[in-house]
Amino acid sequence: MKILIIEDEPGLREGMRDYLTDAGNICETASGFYEAIQKIQLYRYDCIILDIMLPGGSGLQVLEMLKHDKLPDGVLIVSAKNALPDRLSGLKLGADDYLTKPFHLSELLARVEAIVRRRAFDGSPFLEFNEIRIDLDGKQVSVKGKAVRLSRRDYMLLLYLIANKSKIVSKNAIAEHLWGDDIDMADRYDFIYTHIKNLRRKLMDAGCKDYIQSAYGMGYKFSDK
Amino acid sequence: MKLMSKYNRIGLWFAVAAMVITGLVYYFTISYILNGQVDQDLVTEEKEVLDYVKSNGRLPAVLDLENLKISFEPSVAPVKRAFRDAAFFDKRENETESGRQLTSSVVVQGKLYRFSIIESKAETDDLAWLIFEVTLMIIAVLLTGLFVLNRLVVRQLWQPFYAILSEITRFNLTDQNNISKINTRIDEFRLMNDEITSMSSRVIRDYQDLKNFTENAAHELMTPLSLVNFKMDNLVQEGLVSDRQGVLVEEIYQTLAKMKKLNKSMLMLARIENRLFDERESIDLANAMCDALKQFEELFRKRGINVSTAIGSAEIVINADVLPVLLNNLLSNAASHNCQNGKILITVSQGYMSIANTGTNKPLDAGAVFQRFYKAAGSEGTGLGLTLIKEICDTFGIILRYDFHQGLHIFELTF
Repeated sequence: MKILIIEDEPGLREGMRDYLTDAGNICETASGFYEAIQKIQLYRYDCIILDIMLPGGSGLQVLEMLKHDKLPDGVLIVSAKNALPDRLSGLKLGADDYLTKPFHLSELLARVEAIVRRRAFDGSPFLEFNEIRIDLDGKQVSVKGKAVRLSRRDYMLLLYLIANKSKIVSKNAIAEHLWGDDIDMADRYDFIYTHIKNLRRKLMDAGCKDYIQSAYGMGYKFSDK
Repeated sequence: MKLMSKYNRIGLWFAVAAMVITGLVYYFTISYILNGQVDQDLVTEEKEVLDYVKSNGRLPAVLDLENLKISFEPSVAPVKRAFRDAAFFDKRENETESGRQLTSSVVVQGKLYRFSIIESKAETDDLAWLIFEVTLMIIAVLLTGLFVLNRLVVRQLWQPFYAILSEITRFNLTDQNNISKINTRIDEFRLMNDEITSMSSRVIRDYQDLKNFTENAAHELMTPLSLVNFKMDNLVQEGLVSDRQGVLVEEIYQTLAKMKKLNKSMLMLARIENRLFDERESIDLANAMCDALKQFEELFRKRGINVSTAIGSAEIVINADVLPVLLNNLLSNAASHNCQNGKILITVSQGYMSIANTGTNKPLDAGAVFQRFYKAAGSEGTGLGLTLIKEICDTFGIILRYDFHQGLHIFELTF
């Protein structure tokens, strides 16, 4: 995927770039309003990660410009503001998703992938990973054509891990993805363990290889290597 | 006691004392003057007697009038001329009156006579009393008049004071309503009003600054928190060497999550206080509660918490962003302060919601429980959960009550 990261804070910009690049994407960055405008006028991206507060102008103006020119790029707004008006106006202006800082990079990648997938797979919303095939519309998972019944959270977990394939995803990031951050108790790590166990068992029962690896006790990695 | 009553009481005592003293002084002064008058009469009589003796060479006839008596008697030694008070017997009225007597001596044809002139003071006494009574009456009327006038005038005069007082009573920091100016021409009240008005706007401004500071501080913290989060996410991709490092990373992540949560709560609190969640709509509470419960399903199951619900249809007017925060915090509170194999009772009906949970077997400090950063011993939370609940309830006109009944901690919301 080709991704443009528009973010004025250098540390955040590099952090996103490193993670996304490492996951096999091509990333470009813009640190301010005018640089962002220049880039979107010259190049097309699968997804644009857009910070709202930029030196020189608002990220919402960049979004307006994109939509005005009917450019097809997907847009994910990242903002420190969790205020409803901001979120609403962002989505109303045609952004695909809205992510509030602070977030995990694995969450960012999952959201970007979801946006790109939605835009690219018109009519055939299938995601495949070796022998695993996921019907994103019907939320059905099958291994070598054999259906695997997963609970809602197991399904979310599988998608999240595949989106971050070959990356170590921390338990903390998984917990925030599955339950949001309103439940902040240590208990949820035990739930993650249960869900991982379930997911692994169901996939392997269906004849799938074991792709889920535990990483130093602090997270998991979905990888065929 | 009202200032006015206090003032009136002092005034009343003083007026009574002044009245009595004035009356007495008046009475004695008038008596003294009238005595002088009578003495003058006596001297005139004496002169007449002496003149008579001089020209006729004999004593005049004894006089016994209705208010004057003159009597003579032979005397051996000369009598010292003197005035004094004496009794006067009025034959006609057959009663003794107070009188004034002059005793002196006169020589008639070589013989010494002592004579006394007594004049009744009855009339002058009556006059003195009359003047005394009239005076007292005038003073009494004057004082009563003043008293009534005072009450009316003072009540009128204190009007601005009471107006200012009621403004102060109505003053509420979170309303952002300044204390309004009051029209008065009394300097003291105007001064007080000016000071209070400027004080209230100063307080409101400081409070606003403080709230803004909290919001800005929480907001500014989001960037470094994000940064640490990103760096950690990237760091672990480099590959750790040992499980020991994994544990450390895990702990950093957990601490980070706690900081994020704390910061988010502070930001939420500041935003609610700053009235940034003003849009409100009617929301199906039963539905929202079921959604929220789903989030907690696993937690309840793991802790063996038995949840019984009586959820009827209910609509609540609230901000759509805030309702999940309210419900999640209520449920989270009920879950985290519960005991193993405890229970939670949830009731939802139109206009009423209650969440009751088992836990410690003694009531919480109802006064402190909603304060910021109040934590029960051993609590793992941020200490802001209940504060958020309270703040949300206050903002959206929901009445929140905490109660402890038969081992259950009950949070009741009436809306």
